[in-house]
Amino acid sequence: MNDTTDERKNRETGQTAQHAPADLNVYADVYNVLLGGMVVSTALFCVGIVRALLRPQFVPLTPDWIKQHYRWPAIAEGIRTFDPTVLMMIATVLLILTPIARVIVSVYAFAVDHDRKFVLVTLSVLVVIVFTVVLGLFGLK
Amino acid sequence: MFVHSRTFWDYHPIERMQYSYSFVLLLFAAACVAGLLGALLGVGGGIFLVPAMVLVFHLPMKIAVAASVVSVIATSNAGGSSYVDQRITNLRLGMFLEIFTTVGALSGSVLALYLRDWTMQLIFAAMLGYMAYAAFATRNLDDQRIARGEFANVRPDRFSSRLKLRGDYFDEAANRDVQYVVNGVPIGSSIAYLAGLASGLLGVGGGVLKVSAMNRYMNVPMKAAVGTSKLMIGVTAAVSSILFFLAGLIHFTVVGPVAVGTTAGATAGTMIMNRLHSAWLKWLFAVLMLYLAYEMLAKGLDTGFRLHLPSFA
Repeated sequence: MNDTTDERKNRETGQTAQHAPADLNVYADVYNVLLGGMVVSTALFCVGIVRALLRPQFVPLTPDWIKQHYRWPAIAEGIRTFDPTVLMMIATVLLILTPIARVIVSVYAFAVDHDRKFVLVTLSVLVVIVFTVVLGLFGLK
Repeated sequence: MFVHSRTFWDYHPIERMQYSYSFVLLLFAAACVAGLLGALLGVGGGIFLVPAMVLVFHLPMKIAVAASVVSVIATSNAGGSSYVDQRITNLRLGMFLEIFTTVGALSGSVLALYLRDWTMQLIFAAMLGYMAYAAFATRNLDDQRIARGEFANVRPDRFSSRLKLRGDYFDEAANRDVQYVVNGVPIGSSIAYLAGLASGLLGVGGGVLKVSAMNRYMNVPMKAAVGTSKLMIGVTAAVSSILFFLAGLIHFTVVGPVAVGTTAGATAGTMIMNRLHSAWLKWLFAVLMLYLAYEMLAKGLDTGFRLHLPSFA
């Protein structure tokens, strides 16, 4: 009886409890993704920094030098030789992917909880991310 | 360090940096401090890091902005996961506002690719100045409102009701459960867009604007605003980072110590944040912002107009 009264009160005031059981799934999933991404990328960064410091030297700052590392053969060679720039590039990409993975996990978690409004909200964020990739690859000089 | 077509001597002195022990250690230390302050204030650390990289390490503004944006993701992962674990974050509110911050971040980073360094420095200085004022003006508001329980006694607006944006968290400093009702969604969303724009343009995460927008206009207590902002800045910064990455502006050897340092600082900051009173945080925030605003203004005027102001950096 009390529950029913509370639910009615919540409906009248437009309020619902923030941490309902369904919400806890989303909280746990989001937490795991963020923590995992942080640990793996930090470990890779640390290895990269140590490798770079074993041979301290001048490093070019120009975009064309940075972009030379984007080719697949360069990445494979960098992984084979433990090249610090390539290791830190992989860590950076992992870092960028972590919040994106968090959004994808949230879409799934809200879908499991049958929260259609928030599936749409999180999907909208994904659409913006995909558009950014497309724009970065093909739309900008 | 790697096979490249031009030899080292083909690069102009301003196009290269010395990757020495002292450079890495100092950059790491600066990033630790920025991450710690960022976690305490919910601002991602970029607001301290970009001036440090430009003023102290003399890195080009765009390299600094791009490295800062990536480090903002690192602090968001570290701080964000902890606030989510402590249930301080309002996930629904964060995910709703992310729509606006990501669109803003896209606009800002496109703009950053085309603007000159000194223009970005002057815009950065203006933003710091405004933030110092905003933090100072609201310094005592939060603790008083929590004590009076005012955050819970507000009518939700249409969007807030439909999206169930109400929240609550346990405040350790006040030793009580703080409930709040979100309102002001339209103005909050507009400011979230501007926050995203600032993030993409200046590499700051935009947490500064988001926290003040949620706190001042959306009836969200400071700490819940910080936790929610911390989660949002990760995706916001990821959008900007994608564009900077594809443009070749993310320098990985700079990002390494910066990202690890901010993660370490943010982890420490998050642990102590909930035990501090909001008023102290805002005082600290205001003083630092004012100092950095002046230094960035001096740098921007020097680079753009050859006007020399005395500098303490």
